[in-house]
Amino acid sequence: MSLEMTMSQPLSRESRGFPDYELPRLVRLTDNLHGAAFFLMKLLPARHMLDRAAADGRLKPGGTICETTSGTFGLALAMLAAVRGYRLILVSDPAIDEHLHKRLLELGVTLEIVEKPYEVGGFQTARLDRLRAALEANPGSFCPSQYGNADNPRAYAEVAEQIAERLGHVDCLVGTVGSGGSMSGIARFLRHLNPDLHVIGVDTPNSVVFGQPDGKRLLRGLGNSLVPPNVDHRQFDEIHWVGAAEAFLATRRLHQHHALYQGGTSGAAYLVADWWARANPDRKVVTLFPDEGHRYVASIYNDDWLAALPGWTGVLPEAPQPVAHPSDVRPSWSSFRWDRRTLDEVLAAANPAARDLAEAA
Amino acid sequence: MPGDVISRFASVRLGTRGNQRKEQGFGQVNGHHGEILQGVFPDDAGRLHRGLVTLPCHIVSSTAVFRPAPGILVTVPDDKLKAAEAARLALDSLGLHDQGGHLTVESSIPVGLGMGSSTADVVAAIRAVADAHGAALAADEVARLAVRAETASDSIMHGDLAVLFAQREGIVLEHLGPALPPLEVLSVNTAPGALVDTVKQPPATYDDWEVQAFRPLRGMLRRAIRTGDAALLGRVATASARISQRHLPKPAFEEINAIAASTGALGIQVAHSGTVVGLLFDPRNPATARRVAEAAAKLDTIGLPPAFHFRTDAAEVRHVA
Repeated sequence: MSLEMTMSQPLSRESRGFPDYELPRLVRLTDNLHGAAFFLMKLLPARHMLDRAAADGRLKPGGTICETTSGTFGLALAMLAAVRGYRLILVSDPAIDEHLHKRLLELGVTLEIVEKPYEVGGFQTARLDRLRAALEANPGSFCPSQYGNADNPRAYAEVAEQIAERLGHVDCLVGTVGSGGSMSGIARFLRHLNPDLHVIGVDTPNSVVFGQPDGKRLLRGLGNSLVPPNVDHRQFDEIHWVGAAEAFLATRRLHQHHALYQGGTSGAAYLVADWWARANPDRKVVTLFPDEGHRYVASIYNDDWLAALPGWTGVLPEAPQPVAHPSDVRPSWSSFRWDRRTLDEVLAAANPAARDLAEAA
Repeated sequence: MPGDVISRFASVRLGTRGNQRKEQGFGQVNGHHGEILQGVFPDDAGRLHRGLVTLPCHIVSSTAVFRPAPGILVTVPDDKLKAAEAARLALDSLGLHDQGGHLTVESSIPVGLGMGSSTADVVAAIRAVADAHGAALAADEVARLAVRAETASDSIMHGDLAVLFAQREGIVLEHLGPALPPLEVLSVNTAPGALVDTVKQPPATYDDWEVQAFRPLRGMLRRAIRTGDAALLGRVATASARISQRHLPKPAFEEINAIAASTGALGIQVAHSGTVVGLLFDPRNPATARRVAEAAAKLDTIGLPPAFHFRTDAAEVRHVA
């Protein structure tokens, strides 16, 4: 689409949205640590992807949107579809949160729940197959594909604008990585203004995004069972893997100490950002808190639920365990010098621990 | 008092009828040294506009003299046809459709470097016409006329005001503040002898990432101006120069950047449709004089001896020793 075409787009129902809900509130937590607390972070990329698709004709007025998601991206799409007059088909699985399920139905979403995982590929592949079927059954429908759509990371220019305007020069950016949109997007925009920006990505054990083998994950909203093309690995200086128990405990600390009632991914980001900010008191740190805590009343904010977690100690580790290779990652908080490399470069580098073992044998 | 407003209004009307016409009118305007920022920017409704923020340079200027004469012709020397067109538009906007005159324009602004020579001639001409008829035109009106005369125009009619200016529409997209934080600028012409036709150049076609990347630049610029932070201004200018490098590349860009970084400069800025590059220093820093001299010496070694340096808030030219 040419620039001139963008310039002449008329305003219409298709441009309705929630501008004041899209951007985070910036909260100063300590002298050098700032939190960017979102109401629902995915509203911003969802709106931008729909805007762009509407502008170049991929999404027609009153058209149909199909996507697979069981999280907050689906909620953001549902809110926008409701006010913009689009039909929305979401493919999900039985793990979808009961309250989110009800809310999506209330917003008029056609929800397709995949009941059984495939023997090979699990729910992920089964959901992708169902999505493909939905797209075929609805010719002309639009699939935002948050993992691969380059408008996802580009949407975050507005967050970078807000950070640059409110905080000026920033030394370090910390945030969780799931689709890759927010962290890859903001890091690249801020680095254009500060090439020395230190970027820390927060993942969770058993997520493949930064080179771990796939496995069951209790902490949701970050990490992934596939590597989304939107993750720009070369933006990251450091990667941390944070386990569920410590992320939830940090979420509670964020509330207890700073009165910010956020979700579990915010806790994971806070744990890492607070540690780095304390170790670098003369550097300005900003970290992203992607959603609010209301969906986690019965879990993260419930002491009994927490105490029943496997491996629950009720004690927050003081610092991460540095590892020499992503394959060394343990179940609790660990860190790794990524050094702005690609995933292939990191994985191709020999694992020093494995080499030592081989030599010992 | 309402009466005062009416009588003042009436005097302008009388002026436009020629009752306050002078023998000759003067118009003057300073040039600039390229831009701190140039790109595309959304307005409040989300529509994109091409826009720029000019870096003022008071050491060069254009001066115009307009002598009203009977008849509709505006006569000028051959190389000032656009200024003549602007004078005609200014006469028309004052309701003087049946009047003309003779226009002379003198300028110390080098041509083809992206320092605003074309717009300066046009703005000086418009101001001279207005002055000759006892009228004062608001900056927005001068901008509107200038864009009609030359398609795309710099924001110099706004003086030192820091404005995000839509150069193809002549409108202010955002008033950023009374002025940019002052800077000491070491000026380098990256293509001595080569003339860039700054007006005929096609507008840059920014890719989707660049269109978005201008947002954080604008955000940091707002803060730089609000807090008087020259260092942030340097970061914005350097980032904008980097994007410009993809569209109108400057020779030796990386070398100049490295010299700026090694001599404690805040950053660099470029004429986005010209050949000049400025190394930006903090005038409040006592080390600046030494650093400017050091940077000038290093530029000399790569065959780009800078001609002069200047402060953006002063009219005094300083030659490189």
